[in-house]
Amino acid sequence: MDWDKVVQLTVNGLTGGAVYALVALGFSMVYGILKLLNLAHGDIVMVGSFIGWGVLAALGGAQDLRVAVWLLLVLMILAAMAGCGFLGIAIERFAYRPLRRAPRIAPLISALGVSFFIQNSVLLLWGADFRTYNSIDLIDVEVGLSWGPLNVWAIRLIVMGSAVVMMAALWLLVTRTKLGKAMRATAFDREAAAMMGIDVDRVIVKTFFIGSALAGAAGVLVGLVFFSFNYFTGFGYGLKGFTAAVVGGIGSIPGAMFGGIFIGLAEAFSVGYIEDFTRGRLGSAFSDLVVFAILVLFMLFRPQGIFGKPDVKKV
Amino acid sequence: MRKGVIAAALAAIVSAAVVSAAVANTAGPAAPAQVAACTNVTLGFVGPLTGPAGFLGQEQLSWARFAVSKFNRANRTRLRIALGDTRLEAPIARTVARRFVSNRGVMGIIGPSESQAVRVGGNLYERANLAAVSGSATATDLTKGRPFRTFARVVPTDAVQGPTIVNYVSRVLRADNVVVIDSQDDYSVPLATAVIRGLNARNVDTSRESVAADDTDFSSIVANVGNNVDVVVFATQVATAANTLSNQLREQGKRAVVFGTDGAYSPSQYKPRNGYVSVFAPDLNLDPRARAIVREYNRFSNNRDFGAFGPATYMATWVLATAVRSACADGRATRAEVVQRMRRTNVPSIIGPRIRFDGKGDLRGGGSFVIYRVTNGNYRAVG
Repeated sequence: MDWDKVVQLTVNGLTGGAVYALVALGFSMVYGILKLLNLAHGDIVMVGSFIGWGVLAALGGAQDLRVAVWLLLVLMILAAMAGCGFLGIAIERFAYRPLRRAPRIAPLISALGVSFFIQNSVLLLWGADFRTYNSIDLIDVEVGLSWGPLNVWAIRLIVMGSAVVMMAALWLLVTRTKLGKAMRATAFDREAAAMMGIDVDRVIVKTFFIGSALAGAAGVLVGLVFFSFNYFTGFGYGLKGFTAAVVGGIGSIPGAMFGGIFIGLAEAFSVGYIEDFTRGRLGSAFSDLVVFAILVLFMLFRPQGIFGKPDVKKV
Repeated sequence: MRKGVIAAALAAIVSAAVVSAAVANTAGPAAPAQVAACTNVTLGFVGPLTGPAGFLGQEQLSWARFAVSKFNRANRTRLRIALGDTRLEAPIARTVARRFVSNRGVMGIIGPSESQAVRVGGNLYERANLAAVSGSATATDLTKGRPFRTFARVVPTDAVQGPTIVNYVSRVLRADNVVVIDSQDDYSVPLATAVIRGLNARNVDTSRESVAADDTDFSSIVANVGNNVDVVVFATQVATAANTLSNQLREQGKRAVVFGTDGAYSPSQYKPRNGYVSVFAPDLNLDPRARAIVREYNRFSNNRDFGAFGPATYMATWVLATAVRSACADGRATRAEVVQRMRRTNVPSIIGPRIRFDGKGDLRGGGSFVIYRVTNGNYRAVG
């Protein structure tokens, strides 16, 4: 066993997984409250990448930066979170709220429409070219942790650290604050929550804001660590984030975190070892086969996911 | 209830009849000769305007528009471009082909840009006698055996690119150990196979990896690249992907350099500290003889970035426009006449020697690929 490779793949998997976890959290929060699959969530990630890129460009770009790198990163993340949060509110207001009493297929189709709308709007505004943060010019690849043959670039550490901080903050918000209690109550029973005096509409709006803000932050982290994005890249992150949410248990916040890390590691290790395990029959290109096979297996044998609870109905 | 079932069955039968009639209409035997008034001729653009390679398609479209605008001004013609977006997906490319074939105003196809789109649409264009001139479909098999009679391309094929890369990697870079990565598409898989075969024939150790065409993270692939690997040949259509691969090799302390194929060519997006790239046409940005046309294009496009794909599509458009003008000498033209004139093309080119086609639609003489060395983002032709 090549342990250097194992450790390197673990680092890669944790970085990707941290990003997937942030995306999965947004999926889970919205599903938990509205029982709606927000298929436009991946595109919000992509918009977050573009907002971060806009901040970077406004501050001189990676090569002629006018502020300290740490300040730039904070500004990029905050701007992306704010921008995507408000985008989430707009999506909820115009695409989902009018359909709240419609059959469940209607908001699903509306979500698909919103996804195409966002993609094509970005295509129209910024074109189809790939954009890059040139993060290698912000922090050189040689800066970071070096341990024997293992190298962990500082940007990867920042990405993992920021994701952990955001997940912890969300966890505290949901479990320790009044808003969190209202969110949990609305997710449990929307009508009962309304009868107890909770302003359900306001809770839903805030949930969309928080979920979309996390997606915006994920977008900046994606741009920092994976270098490039364009109007189309959100689709892939949305799909992986959704898979992570299902594996962890859609609607469950710890489930989304765990699912993201699990999918990130599964993806990294399948790229690294699929060829060895299949004796050369399958190449690294089939890593998605492993990831989505996990999704199918969960749907078949544990549809509620690892942390989810089975949907029991009284008869 | 019974009435409902009967009505549904009738509706299904009628729908099936309508669909099969439509299919028979578009995929049937040779279409009648289409005569168009030359005052209103359209050229169909077939390429990936959206999707993962959308940025390449947009560059091509911009140069195609530039060519048409310049041609119209110089020849007092009124050619127009109709858009066909393939999204880099073969089934969509076939639908686009059907649409253009059935549009009587379309007298030629600029493209298809991708080899897979030629494969799925070539027979439709052939049956409809519709000339198609590509500025980027390089797959060798498109003109092997019995090629599509109405298809031609203004760029050399992968039969030239593969050996060019093999030669450079083994003779000039003297690599002993090479990893070849494909992007699981019709462009990169045959090219990667040809490169591996060529390198093995020269006793170079090779291994192969694959990524998805729209992947943006290669860190786990890089973990598979050993420290004894000298070169990673990346057959990709996305320049930023080659750039990311190069950055991630550095990040993990690997000494291998990236050698990108023509899809990776982009001085604005592929900027490794040390790398190589091959391309089917010289970069006009770096060619002092092309200053005038580059200036003109910059004015036309408001200084839009471009690499090698745009100028080649400019030439494909120019070839088609010339064929249409020649077929229109009597004021009216048929598609068959355009094909005939296109076959006899002999025009000067902005990307190399005069363009003339052989019997199969390839460049006479085969053409050649150019290799650039990239150092800290600066390009220099080295082969």
